[in-house]
Amino acid sequence: MPRVFITGLGFITSIGNDSTTVEQSLRHLSHGFELYPAFNRPEIPCKVVGTVKGFFTDAVDQEDWRYPDTYSFKRELMRTMAPHGLYAHCALLQAIKDARLQEADVSNPATGLYTSSGGSPYLTNYHHNRVETLGVMRCSPFGIVSSIVGTLNFNLVAAFKIHGSSCGFSSACASSAHALGFAFDEITLGRQKRMFVVGAEDGNKDAILPFAGMRTLSLQTDPQLASRPFDKGRDGFVGTGGATVLVLESEDEVMKRGVTPYCEVVGWGQASDGYNVAISHPEGAGLQVAMKHALASAQVTPQHIDYINAHATSTLIGDISEVKAIKAVFPDSVKKPWVSSTKALTGHGLSLAGAMESGFSALALKHGFMPGSAHITEVDPACVGIALLRKTETIAPSYIMKNASGFGGANVSIVFKKV
Amino acid sequence: MFMPDLAHTSSQKKAPFIALAKPFSPEDEVALREVLKRCSPSTFEAAVQFRKTGNPEHLPAVVIGVVERYVEPELRVKLKDAADDLRMIEDLGIDSLTMMEIVILVEDVLQMTINNEELRNLRTVGDVKAFIDCKVRGLPLPKPTKFLPIEHIASVMPIQPPFLFINEASVSSLGASGKYKISGQEFFLQGHFKDNPVMPASIMLEALGQLAVLYLLEGLVPEPGKVVASTMIFFTGCEGVRAHRICKPGDILSLSIKPKRLKMPLATFEGAIRVGQEKAVIAEEITLTFGFVDAAVEPTTEKASEGTPSELSSDTPPLHAAVVSS
Repeated sequence: MPRVFITGLGFITSIGNDSTTVEQSLRHLSHGFELYPAFNRPEIPCKVVGTVKGFFTDAVDQEDWRYPDTYSFKRELMRTMAPHGLYAHCALLQAIKDARLQEADVSNPATGLYTSSGGSPYLTNYHHNRVETLGVMRCSPFGIVSSIVGTLNFNLVAAFKIHGSSCGFSSACASSAHALGFAFDEITLGRQKRMFVVGAEDGNKDAILPFAGMRTLSLQTDPQLASRPFDKGRDGFVGTGGATVLVLESEDEVMKRGVTPYCEVVGWGQASDGYNVAISHPEGAGLQVAMKHALASAQVTPQHIDYINAHATSTLIGDISEVKAIKAVFPDSVKKPWVSSTKALTGHGLSLAGAMESGFSALALKHGFMPGSAHITEVDPACVGIALLRKTETIAPSYIMKNASGFGGANVSIVFKKV
Repeated sequence: MFMPDLAHTSSQKKAPFIALAKPFSPEDEVALREVLKRCSPSTFEAAVQFRKTGNPEHLPAVVIGVVERYVEPELRVKLKDAADDLRMIEDLGIDSLTMMEIVILVEDVLQMTINNEELRNLRTVGDVKAFIDCKVRGLPLPKPTKFLPIEHIASVMPIQPPFLFINEASVSSLGASGKYKISGQEFFLQGHFKDNPVMPASIMLEALGQLAVLYLLEGLVPEPGKVVASTMIFFTGCEGVRAHRICKPGDILSLSIKPKRLKMPLATFEGAIRVGQEKAVIAEEITLTFGFVDAAVEPTTEKASEGTPSELSSDTPPLHAAVVSS
C-alpha cells in the first residue's frame, strides 16, 4: 500500500496568513481574536470572532474586496468566488509553492482536489434577496456558483485546471477531516498520486451568527476568555474563517521530486454516534470508535500517540464528550498522550477546522513542538484523567492524533507520523 | 396579414420612451450612481440624461460604457474607436457569462427587460447598440449579424458563378462584410492584362455591388409580410469611386458596405475594399434599385420571434430598416 506524505501547506487563518506566522502563533499561544465590528450591535449577544487579517470581503461585489499585495486576481476569477473561495485560492497558491509543484504537477489526471466548506450564507442571502426584490432575471449568473456548498471545488478545480478526482465533503465540523481521510484513501488505493485537501469558511456574520441561535457561541466580550476549551468557565465557541490547504503525495512522488515532507499520514478512521442531530454522544461513543479505527489503520497502539490535537471547541457538552472518549481509548494503564485544543487560539473554523488543525499537526511534527491549550485558568474537573498540555512544549512528538467531530455525530480521527 | 397592436401603439405615443414611464427621482440617481460606479463618468452622465429625457441619442454612450467596464483593461483601447464591427467574443474577450452581466447592468440602468433568446445572436458591438436602440424605440429588433458561407450566398443571390465575387460574408442590419480571394482562375484575367493578371477595377466595384445585393436580401428588415425580390435588384449608379491598389491573384479582398439611405425603391451604400490593412477601392456611393413581393407563407412565425410588435402608423417610414445613425 503506497505511503502518503504531507509535502505542502497553505494558511489563511485568524492566527496567521502563512506557515511561519502560524507556527509562531502556535508556539507563543498568540490568539487571533478581535471584537468583530459586524457584531457591534446591541441585539447581537456575541462579540468576539477569530478574524482573518489583511483581507476585506464584507462586500457582495467581489471587485470591492481587498487582499494582500502578494496576490493578484482578475475580475473574471473573483466574480464566482465566495469570501472563503478567495482565502482558499490564496492558501492553495501557498501550498503549491511550499510543495515546490510545477504547473504540470498540479494539472494532470493523477492529481485531485477535495474540499469542504459550509458554502456562503452571506452571498446566498444577498442573491435570494435580489430574487425577492428585483426578480429572478436580475440575479447575477454567478449567484449559485459563488455561494452554494461546493463553490470551493467549482472555483478551484476550474482555476487550477485540476484533472484528477474532485468533490466536496459536507459533514459539518468534521468535513475537512473527512476530506483528508478520503484523499489519503485515494492515494493508498493507487487512484491518485497527489491530492490537495482544502478546508475553508467565510467566518463572517452570516456564517457565524446562526450558531448563536443554537446557544453554542461564547458570549464573552474579552478575547482572552472567549475561547477556552477544557476550562471550567467555558461558555461556547468563537467562530472563525479562513482557509487551509494540505498537499498529500504518494511516497513515489516524494522520492521522485526529492522534497522533504512535513510528516506522514499513517491512517484514519471514522464512526458515527447515531445519537442526536446536534449534540455529541455524552460518552463520545462514535469518537471512541473513530480513534480506535484510526489507530488500527495506522497500525499503532495507543502508547505510540504523543499528542492529540483535540476537536474541543469550548462548548459545555462537546469538550467533555471528547475527554471521555479519549479516556476510554487511552486508559490509565498506558502512557497518556498530551492533549490540547488549538481552537483556544483560532476559534472554531467549522468545515475548515479539520484541515486547519491537521496543518498545525504537520507543523508540530516538522518543527518539533506541541502547541498548548491556551486560556485555561481553572481546568474543568471533568477533565481529570487526560494529560492537558497547558503550555507549548518544545518536545518533538513522533505521532499525533487529530480528532474532528461534526453535527449528526460524525467523528473522524487521523494519525500523523514524524518523518 | 399583420395587425399592429393598436393599444400598444397608442400608449407608446403618450410615453414615447420606456424610461419615461416614471419620473427620474433623486433616489433613482443615487441607485444609478451605485450600479454604474465602475463605469466612466461620461457613461453615468449619458445614463442620467437618458433616464431624464428618454432620448435614445444617449444610448450608444451608455452601452459602450457598460461594455467597456467588463472588458479587460488592456483590451479597452479597442473600444475607443467604437467600431461597430468589433466582435464581443473574439475581439473583446467577453464570454457568454460576462454577456449576461452586461445585460443585467443594462437592464438595471435603462430599466428594461431583455429576454435570453434576444441575446443569443448579438455578436458585435454594433449588434448590441442596434438591439438596445430598437428595444428602447419600440422598433422591431434588428436582424443579428449572420455569417453566411458560400453555399448560402449562392443559394440566395441572383448572381451566380463564374460571376459571383463573394466567398463568404457576414450580414447584419447595419451592413455587410465579405471576403473574396482572387484565385487567378477568373476567366477575364486571361485578357486583363496580357501576361499580367490584374483584377479589373470594374469587377471590384461589381463585387461591392454584389455585397450590397446580399445585404438587401439578408440584412434588411422588410415591411411585415414582404420580402425583397431577388429578381428586382439592379444597379443604378455610383459616385466617388477610386482605386488605390493593384490587386492580383492570391490577394484576399475584404469587402464592406454600409447602407447610407434606404427609401423605396432606392438603396444607397458606401463601400470599401481592403487587402490586409491596405486600402484598395473606395466607393462613396453605390445605388441599387429594389422592390418587395409578398412573403410566401409563415410570416407569423418570423414575427413571433421578433418579440416586439411593429408599428405601421403613418408617421413611420415605410422601411423598418433599423439603420442606426451613429
